[in-house]
Amino acid sequence: MLKKHPLLGFIFFGLVLFLVSNRVDELRVFQGATVAVYVIAIASIILLTGYSGQVSLGHGALLAIGGYAAALSRNHWGVPVWLAFCIAALAAALGGYLLGLAAARLSGPYLAGTTLALAIGLPSIANQFSILGGEQGLAFDIGLPPAFLGADFTQYKWFFWIASLAALIVIYWLRNVMNSRYGRSWKAVRSNDVAAELAGINVGRNKVLAFTVSAGLAGLAGALLAMTISTVSPGAFPLTLSFSLATGAVLSGITTLGGVMIGAVTLVAIPEIVDSALSRFQSSDVVANNLPGLLVSALLILTVLFVPNGPVEQLRTRQEHRVTQ
Amino acid sequence: MIRINRQKLALTSALLAVAALTASSLPAQASSDPGVTATSIKLGITVPMTGIASPGYNKIPGAMKAYFDYVNDNGGVNGRKITLVIKDDQYIPTTAVAKANELILKDKVFALVGTLGTASTKAISASTQLAKRGIPSLFVNTGFSGFADAKAYPTTFSILPSYQMEAKIMGKYLKEKYADKKLALIYQDDDFGRDALAGFKQAGITFGTYIPYASGSQSLPATGAGWISALKASGTEVTVLFGVSSASTAALANAYAAQFKTQWVLGSVGGDATTIAATNKAYVGFLYGAKGFSFAPAPTDATDEYIKLFQSIYAAAQPTQTFDNNVVAGMSNAFLAVQALKAAGSDLTRAGLIKTIEAKGASFANPFLTPLGYSASAHIGATGYWIGTYDPTGALKPDGGKYTVYTTDSGNGPVVESSYKRPAMPAKGLPN
Amino acid sequence: MIQFFNMLLIGIGAGSIYALMAIAMVLVWRSTRVINFAQAAMALLSTYIGFELVQKTGNFWIALPLAMALGALLSSLIEIIFIRTLIKHSTSGPVAGIVPIIATLGLLGFIRATIGFIWGNQNVQIPAPLSKIGFKVGTETIALSPMNLLVLLTVIGMVIVLGYIFQRTNLGLSLRASAYAPEIAQLAGVRVGAIRTLGWAIAGAAGAAAGLLQTVNGTGALSPDSLEFSLLLTFGFIAAVIGGLESLPGAVLGALVLGIVLAVVQIYISGTLVFIVAFVLLLVVLLIRPQGFIGVKAGRRA
Repeated sequence: MLKKHPLLGFIFFGLVLFLVSNRVDELRVFQGATVAVYVIAIASIILLTGYSGQVSLGHGALLAIGGYAAALSRNHWGVPVWLAFCIAALAAALGGYLLGLAAARLSGPYLAGTTLALAIGLPSIANQFSILGGEQGLAFDIGLPPAFLGADFTQYKWFFWIASLAALIVIYWLRNVMNSRYGRSWKAVRSNDVAAELAGINVGRNKVLAFTVSAGLAGLAGALLAMTISTVSPGAFPLTLSFSLATGAVLSGITTLGGVMIGAVTLVAIPEIVDSALSRFQSSDVVANNLPGLLVSALLILTVLFVPNGPVEQLRTRQEHRVTQ
Repeated sequence: MIRINRQKLALTSALLAVAALTASSLPAQASSDPGVTATSIKLGITVPMTGIASPGYNKIPGAMKAYFDYVNDNGGVNGRKITLVIKDDQYIPTTAVAKANELILKDKVFALVGTLGTASTKAISASTQLAKRGIPSLFVNTGFSGFADAKAYPTTFSILPSYQMEAKIMGKYLKEKYADKKLALIYQDDDFGRDALAGFKQAGITFGTYIPYASGSQSLPATGAGWISALKASGTEVTVLFGVSSASTAALANAYAAQFKTQWVLGSVGGDATTIAATNKAYVGFLYGAKGFSFAPAPTDATDEYIKLFQSIYAAAQPTQTFDNNVVAGMSNAFLAVQALKAAGSDLTRAGLIKTIEAKGASFANPFLTPLGYSASAHIGATGYWIGTYDPTGALKPDGGKYTVYTTDSGNGPVVESSYKRPAMPAKGLPN
Repeated sequence: MIQFFNMLLIGIGAGSIYALMAIAMVLVWRSTRVINFAQAAMALLSTYIGFELVQKTGNFWIALPLAMALGALLSSLIEIIFIRTLIKHSTSGPVAGIVPIIATLGLLGFIRATIGFIWGNQNVQIPAPLSKIGFKVGTETIALSPMNLLVLLTVIGMVIVLGYIFQRTNLGLSLRASAYAPEIAQLAGVRVGAIRTLGWAIAGAAGAAAGLLQTVNGTGALSPDSLEFSLLLTFGFIAAVIGGLESLPGAVLGALVLGIVLAVVQIYISGTLVFIVAFVLLLVVLLIRPQGFIGVKAGRRA
């Protein structure tokens, strides 16, 4: 039944998440919220790179636009939370549209360079305008969970619900978009832009559209990320965030949304697993400081070397193989 | 067929993730506050151990741990041994929140201690709801004056004097000493520098030349040279440096390269002569005669009883590391934490600890040369500075041969010379 | 006037540091079509090796060529063990655009963590081999020291030697052929694999020189987390992209323009704008010339 009706699948999964969130402790709930945020951010990169063939190393900057837009609209206009998230997505989409206009003219490494420079340049703007709150940033308070959820309902559970719901909606929507005319044109542009052009697809416009949508999702992720840390500041969107998201996208499998959870869970879980493992031993500072980075990097290297298309795609290809045999 | 498989996979991977999330079960809740047993106290710190902000700061936890171990070896605090859980936050607020959550929810620490960086401290406080949960955040390492506000941050205690205080005291000094000179200010163009600008304004000081720099840009090859070029062109005689220590190094290195002589006045953050001297001995010559501001005794002052103790503890714990301002900062932080825990008595609770610091904090034994300002309404630590001059070896020596301390507040209060005399160190450096 | 002159010297001094890194990135791009983000970590590792050699021999002039040689060796090993496998597995599709980038980012983290394991996360120091005090013109000390001059001469020497190799020798022809049309080059008897490795080796040597020279030309401090190396990487990359990625003179030109523009902004406008100006400069250059200063107009990418 679930196979025929994906919507039911998503609703079912949402229910599972809901039940789980009542069963696990606060730390897991918080980490779950972070995973949901990463799911959206990684999906936005998969959409951009995997489906439209453009590379962004500066998605952190788009997340920052979303985070700041949400905080500003909430702090200054007192807009409701859901509207703040919409504004975040729209503001980042606008930024992405402008960037996309430039991006459509640039090929691979030039685009990578431009987005990288944006990720370095943009956060320093926060110190130029006092409304952006400088280095310490702005508060972003989405308020307490509604009273009817009960007194035991924690803030982190509330974050988790919001982020998970957003992630479910985004993935469901993206899934449909990918199967629509737009998705097909993007894929056509990705695999062969000259052929796509010949087939009557406006390559430039499609690339800009993909960038805009991707940026909008990144902006939503940025606002949700700001929600989890209740503040927004330039330091929250460093270059390493952009790199981590690109990493997560590759770990998930850049060409398919199917594995999007893998990258998100890995980004959240690996540092903690390494941390816990280390705390069992009396490890020296040098080991404690460098082992997490070493393991994440090693995992990344092994993934790109041996399953560059991501684990999901790998399994699928193997299955296809078996079917044809 | 294929699509179905993919869907199944998506679902499986999702369920796997859920399983991973549920993997750790909830330990039983104790009735008393977490992190305290009859024989132990667990504290946690998030600090940049790796990443671009880490050099220097990553010595702080080691220094704290060295002092805690020293206390533990001497019987602990009211019979309890202190363990310090160290988490690397890479100076990224999101990571800091994630790590603080691990400390609070998984490691179950009794209190946070020594959180570093304004943005990270703010994010941790807001997201983990320290105030609502009553979790003490002891002695945060940031000069942002806001954390001293007991209403906004009821469980957070700052330890450093604010940047604004420093600028006010420095401003008064500049006015008295160099009123007829051409002044220039090099400052980091973020909250750190903005607070300083506000302080200088209050002191009625205007500079002939303002040189702001973006945080991080001091490490670009042209930056320091650009500053010196601008200072030269404006004929600056006195240069105030209100930046991080890599900025001080860049400025001194390039002054050396351009053979540009000026009267340097270094703020406390960037005035770590040990770091500058370790970079290149030639720069020490340029430091000679520079003015420096500090609230703690200079790490080179072996006549100071605290420094003597800290040096011997640190040399035993970390024999390969140099003893510098970061080590003094970490040890002082740990000392004050032990003092607070000791004063809170053997029936240790979070609320009790906070009350104790508010009630008795101002009279705590501590290494700083300026009075502590803890009260029920203000959670401010050191409240002033002493002024010194760097000698030919790069050591900061107090002007006039003895520590003269100036105190002020982060508001409109005046700068006054204080008669404060630091109480003698408790026997063996163990708070009582 | 003297300030303007000094500003040019400051810009050129900074630009020549970026140029060394940009040269390394261009060499790798030309030989394997990979943007090597691990270049910073490789340069860092070579610089640490240089630090050890300076400690052992006490002589910078022995340490520098040795570090460059070891940097070349390290770089070729990475190409042979790592990049070849990578290219074998992901030659086409969207992954070909991003996987190499991610792979080199992974390598960046891996090497940096390894350096942390070996040398710890604290600063070490490398003393400068030449005076850092600027030359005197009349009574004025200008913003050009013997140390700056060494960096500049290294860049110029490298461009001349590499330019000669690329333009005038068979080796250079093979290098270019393997980059543009590997299959055809192979058919023409070029040992494409070996030639690519060579490209990486030269880049490794250039990166080692960049790391070691920038460290001693700067404050002399070195740590696995040093901001200088992250900035060297990003600004070197930006310079290479501005220059057009395909050409060594382009890379040097891009680096000098970047250095001078940032110096102008810093001295005449505001030091707070340098990062955003770097982005705007890159964007403006690429919007006017999407292929950079001296780039070949990108054909259809296979």
